[in-house]
Amino acid sequence: MLHADGLTKRYGAVLALNGFNLDVAPGEITGLVGHNGAGKSTFVDVLCGLVRPDSGTVTFNGRPLAAARGDIGVAPQHIALYPGATAGEHLRLYGRLAGLRGRALTTATDEVIDALLLTDFLDRRVGLLSGGQQRRVQAATALLPHPPLLLMDEPTAGADPQTRESLLAALRHRAAGGTAIVYATHYLPELADLQATVAVARHGRIIARGTTTQLLDGLPSEVLLRTAGTDDLRVHTTDPARTLTTLLQNTSGPIVEIDIRKPSLDDLYRSLAG
Amino acid sequence: MIDSMSRIAALARHNTVLRLRDPGQFLSYLVMPMVLMLALKPLFERAVTGGTTHIATGTLVIFSALALSIVGNSTLAERSWHTWDRLRCTRASIPELLVGKTLPAYGLLLLQQSILLAYGVTIIGAHPHDGRAYGLLLLGILVWGAALLAIGTALAAVVRSHGELSAACDVGALTLTTLGGAFIPVTMFPSWLQTLAPASPGYWSLSMLQHAMRGDTSGTLWRAAVLLGVGAIAAAFAYRRLATGWGRSTTL
Repeated sequence: MLHADGLTKRYGAVLALNGFNLDVAPGEITGLVGHNGAGKSTFVDVLCGLVRPDSGTVTFNGRPLAAARGDIGVAPQHIALYPGATAGEHLRLYGRLAGLRGRALTTATDEVIDALLLTDFLDRRVGLLSGGQQRRVQAATALLPHPPLLLMDEPTAGADPQTRESLLAALRHRAAGGTAIVYATHYLPELADLQATVAVARHGRIIARGTTTQLLDGLPSEVLLRTAGTDDLRVHTTDPARTLTTLLQNTSGPIVEIDIRKPSLDDLYRSLAG
Repeated sequence: MIDSMSRIAALARHNTVLRLRDPGQFLSYLVMPMVLMLALKPLFERAVTGGTTHIATGTLVIFSALALSIVGNSTLAERSWHTWDRLRCTRASIPELLVGKTLPAYGLLLLQQSILLAYGVTIIGAHPHDGRAYGLLLLGILVWGAALLAIGTALAAVVRSHGELSAACDVGALTLTTLGGAFIPVTMFPSWLQTLAPASPGYWSLSMLQHAMRGDTSGTLWRAAVLLGVGAIAAAFAYRRLATGWGRSTTL
């Protein structure tokens, strides 16, 4: 269990974390969402040990984070790879740094190569790979040693659909095996794909936390009624069936289109983050 | 302990591969001094007492100092590639990261100096005084290499770009080694410049190597001690800066 309690971090005049609390259970994927500057990356940096918080504590499985350093796999926001080294060399480096050797290293490497579809460019230098391929290599270095906690900071930024699909599938598989995952992102539909719980960060703290269903409960749906020769009618309502019935009763022209759009994480995000 | 050695070995192997794939700078700092030694040998033999030894050791000092940029670039690249922070997220400790990172660069510095010294002895005609002189020269190379390694890493920890590093290494290396007498012997300087010469690490390096050539143990050792002191200060500074990374600066 990851437990962050009351984290604060100030950079000069900027309060990046302001009482940041978050718990993530084993096997849980937590989507960390929020505007740029909401504190997501600073929180990830704290978890990685790159930034020391001004106050607050973080423990993982009851141990202070410093003692759990080897239990964390990280895919940072920026591409952090050696352009002159091949994808395979990256995997071997980070595998060895995680303490893997011999058969264990080979097995772990083969697993992430398959999961993230790296075979075709394993022996190519990373500097020659596409952005999506680099994203996959970077994610593979995080997944490789099977850490019980994964920190993925916008791991699909700029990635192609193949990269996104393979990575999300790999993460779902890891979570099913008990890995706790913190997944910072701006791509909210990915969180639905991951069946993640959601934590919304704003001004350095978590302002909403729960499952997607819990957080979307009470948000209005959008009812669209399009008739020939008139403007579209869009109504936001928490009771779309009744609203639609009323609209149909009051409409005389031929109907072209009817649509009910349920609230999405984007709507939640907008309503909470302002 | 075994785990620690294993991590250092993994980092050293990785960095060695990266260095070997980009040998241009290293090769240029081998070829240029060789050509320069050959071209300047007749002039120095006529103009300076002990001119052959001076051109061999002086050129070695100048071009080994220029190789600071190899060390600096190796470290600074970790910043521009964002890989230093990524490495800090692993199980490897900061000392392990630094040792694994700098060992290959240290190897290159030693290789460069060894080749230039061998060239200076066999082709240019510099003569170590006796068997002991070879041992002292080896010690001198180890010490000068360590000092350069520390200074280069410290430089990489403070500059804000590869351009700044390049300027600092080129201007700094040429200025300080020239001030140290590596090109023109200090005895030929005006007196005010002679007074300033000991402020340059190049002065102590050149002096150490020339005492080593003569087989002068005590003269070599105490100059080596001065250089080790300079290196220790630079290493402590570099360690302090790199232990906390470069933060979120986007200068690069």
